[in-house]
Amino acid sequence: MSSQFIYLSILAASLGTYFCRAFGVYSARNISTDSPVFHWIKCVSIGVISAVIARIILFPEGILGEATSFSRISCTIIALVIYFSFKKNVLLAVIVSAISFALVNHYI
Amino acid sequence: MFSSQPFKDGVKHAIGVPALGLGSSMFAFGAFLNSAGFDIFQSFCSTFFTFALPGQFVMAETILAGGSLLNIFLAVLLTNGRLYPMTVNITPVIRNQNVSKWKQYLTSHFIAVTSWFNMFAVHQNIKQEDKFDYFVGLGGFLWANSVVCTIAGYLFSNVVSHEILVGMVFINPMYFLIMTVSNLKEKMMICSVLLGASLSIILNSFIPGWSVLVAGILAGSIGYILFKKEIVHE
Repeated sequence: MSSQFIYLSILAASLGTYFCRAFGVYSARNISTDSPVFHWIKCVSIGVISAVIARIILFPEGILGEATSFSRISCTIIALVIYFSFKKNVLLAVIVSAISFALVNHYI
Repeated sequence: MFSSQPFKDGVKHAIGVPALGLGSSMFAFGAFLNSAGFDIFQSFCSTFFTFALPGQFVMAETILAGGSLLNIFLAVLLTNGRLYPMTVNITPVIRNQNVSKWKQYLTSHFIAVTSWFNMFAVHQNIKQEDKFDYFVGLGGFLWANSVVCTIAGYLFSNVVSHEILVGMVFINPMYFLIMTVSNLKEKMMICSVLLGASLSIILNSFIPGWSVLVAGILAGSIGYILFKKEIVHE
């Protein structure tokens, strides 16, 4: 792969990504925060995010794909248990689950 | 704008868990680009101009698989299509009459899952005229931090063990998960989240490329239709 092709690829990826954002700003020009569309699109956004999380945990690609399903699912449960057990401490839940994940992958 | 208190408050908000969550994955991405044969300036450009991690991974993997520029554009468009509803959703929240259109379009570059979640978590406590500056501080810091972390990951990839790198990649989805759970206060949101996750798993077997977007649209629409009466009573 040539250096020029990589830069063109970054440009293509940036244009594809920015199109989603710019078209979003354009589409929102007549939407107010008390309109039904606003509430519907908020539900769609959170639906998409939860779909992304489920996909990352169950069908990951890249580095996470090297880990076992057991380690991903068990450490996800650990994150939720820690979050609800320790006064909804986000930092603690995230750090403990990541450390558990690294340890489980190393030893199991 | 950069000297305003709302901008500084936004930066302050981003420093800590939000920056750690996103930064750790960007660090791992920088390490991945190093191993994939990218140079440091290409790694910098990727996060500086794209700033949407799943699409950046798709770009790099499509290059490695020998894909064309059109392949890359379409694959990234599909992957980062999730940013569209988030942008439509957050734009009415942060804009005000004093913000020109070009600023809205420029600032949209900072819209990502982390900035979206964190802005929604606090926006009701911020005056309408301050929300835009606050978001620029919040999203702008996350973006700048991501660029720095990508470079750091590129430079220090040989120092960090593979196990730690894998653990760092896991931080971001766990952060998204916890932020999602912490935002579940209305029935329509709970329904949308549960359906979105379930449909994504089911649809992944049939339409893997489209499963996330289709699941999100279906789940959000069903959640909204079933519980929209609650909005009126709020």
